[in-house]
Amino acid sequence: MTPTLAVDATGVTKNFGPVRAVDEITVQVAAGEVYGVLGPNGAGKTTFLRMLFGLIRPDCGSIRVFDKSWDQAGVGVLDGVAGFIESPRFYPYLTGRANLEGLALLDGGTRAGLIKEVLDIVDLTDRADRKVGGYSYGMRQRLGVAASLLREPKLLVLDEPANGLDPAGIRDMRALVKRLAASGLTVLLSSHDMGEVEEICDNVTILNRGSVAFHGTIAQLRTMAPDPGYLLATTDDRRALALAEHHHGVDVSLDPDAALVVTGRRSEVSAFVAALMRADVELLGFTETQTPLEALFFMLTDDTRPTSAHRSNQAQEALR
Amino acid sequence: MTAVQTHMDPAVRESTVAVERRRGGLGAALRFEVRKLRAQYRGWAVLAGAVLAPIPIVVIINGQSRPPKDTLFGRFATDNGFALTLLILGFATQWVLPLLTAIVAGDIFASEDQHGTWKTVLTRSTSRAQIFWAKTLTACGFAVLVLTLLAASTIASSLLIVGHQPLTGLSGQTIGAGTALQLVTASWATTLAPTLGFTCLAIVLSVWFRNPAVGIATPVVLGMVMVLIGGLGGIEIIRPLLLTTSFEAWHGLFTQPRFTGPLVEGLLVSAAWSVLSLGAAFAIVRRRDITGG
Ligand SMILES: Nc1ncnc2c1ncn2[C@@H]1O[C@H](COP(=O)(O)OP(=O)(O)OP(=O)(O)O)[C@@H](O)[C@H]1O
Ligand SMILES: [Mg+2]
Repeated sequence: MTPTLAVDATGVTKNFGPVRAVDEITVQVAAGEVYGVLGPNGAGKTTFLRMLFGLIRPDCGSIRVFDKSWDQAGVGVLDGVAGFIESPRFYPYLTGRANLEGLALLDGGTRAGLIKEVLDIVDLTDRADRKVGGYSYGMRQRLGVAASLLREPKLLVLDEPANGLDPAGIRDMRALVKRLAASGLTVLLSSHDMGEVEEICDNVTILNRGSVAFHGTIAQLRTMAPDPGYLLATTDDRRALALAEHHHGVDVSLDPDAALVVTGRRSEVSAFVAALMRADVELLGFTETQTPLEALFFMLTDDTRPTSAHRSNQAQEALR
Repeated sequence: MTAVQTHMDPAVRESTVAVERRRGGLGAALRFEVRKLRAQYRGWAVLAGAVLAPIPIVVIINGQSRPPKDTLFGRFATDNGFALTLLILGFATQWVLPLLTAIVAGDIFASEDQHGTWKTVLTRSTSRAQIFWAKTLTACGFAVLVLTLLAASTIASSLLIVGHQPLTGLSGQTIGAGTALQLVTASWATTLAPTLGFTCLAIVLSVWFRNPAVGIATPVVLGMVMVLIGGLGGIEIIRPLLLTTSFEAWHGLFTQPRFTGPLVEGLLVSAAWSVLSLGAAFAIVRRRDITGG
């Protein structure tokens, strides 16, 4: 028996008037995995997640969550699902706790003590009795996580959860997602940050202008990634350029800002740097400009051509 | 954020079959709506206004040397409490009742748009239909409450300050105090149907425009326009269909003999306005895409 997919969305399309926000995308999330939907601004991530939650109706395609569809199960589709879309919103005139209590009512009640527990998890216990109107952005984001955990979900759907948080907030949010995932929760999160997805996710769908540009595992993505790029500042850039002529495996050019742009596999680049040293060219600075995956992300999303080779149904394979 | 505790039952967590959970239902949604209303200042302000405002109005009119003769029951208003409460009733139905009900009904849907909270409530375990009816019932319940308080306060302060002498009816007949009290109470009660009509009108406007200001102000303006249209000549076919005409149905209770035709007509017209408004509002709430928030 094939295990139930947490999310099985096939051929989902949504138009807003003349704008095709989501174009026949297929996303399949196996139970227990951490799945990333990655894309630049306007790629259709939020639109897709809204359709998952039934907030907007797809024009065509089907969405099943734990094998239930909106047509058959209505709001029952969301049994076991929680999360938030864009930044979470609450009633500003109610306290954080009162907001959670009200939402718990809509959930059909929660077990005793759970509200306190989730407030503890997101570190809002001290502020729970203040009105949400006075909360900072980060506090609201955390209250959004608390409100989601209140449903004791099996699938957590987060739309750019780190958006707008400060570096410490981002770190905490990622750590929390990882811990939740480790506890067995299926997580579907959207992001525009390749680093974040690489850090947290097992599988990823890259969206570009509403269509799938890549879909597969992070490992598969790595094999497609171009060589990393570095910026080098040396005491003698001219000489370094000349040396590079004889050095295979690295590609070196002179940047208008008078730095050397070097691309190549890590090992080749370090061999080139060693050669510079031997030739008495001193290294003044060395920076990585783009991680390979970031470079790949830009390649995939800058042009509109999807890499068709990777559009095969790898989620299905991953399940076997 | 501190360590994650074991808040998920492993048995539940590991299962991959479809999950079932308890769902809130209409009762839960209704409780949440009432809580939200109670936490807001506006509802309390309206209720307080309904209770307190009639008192100074009664005192001021009672102190006038010349009664407002050109309004219905105006000429007896300074020396008969029943006449005074009917004078105030006539005034309240011009725009006060539509306003009082719209302050809540015109806001209850649109404020979800204003706060961006549709997505918050619709991603729990309550259906759109349940949320819709919870809000509608809350708004209607509030309308009943505010009308009751306004009527009780007006009647009590009129009778206590001006007195409860027998009332002279519209056909010049004398109505004893006991009967007059019943008729006055009944008159206020007959405005419930059109008041609820305005509640539903405010609901559909609030749903349609997604803006609390529009939801609150438009029913009041529409009410005034209806009063204006009702005052025009040569529109005998339209007049009974206006929601504001139902507000005058009680006049027939004070004639000799009484006529109750307008009461039945008013009830039907109010029901029709309410059903059409709610039907449209429900259709919009059911179908709309929640893209904001
Ligand atoms: N309500 C709407 N009306 C019209 N167009 C919309 C609406 N919502 C989204 N769109 C369009 O749909 C496309 C996808 O938008 P969406 O918000 O899903 O992107 P996103 O991937 O979430 O972007 P971001 O990273 O900025 O959050 C965009 O072109 C956007 O302009
Ligand atoms: Mg988005």
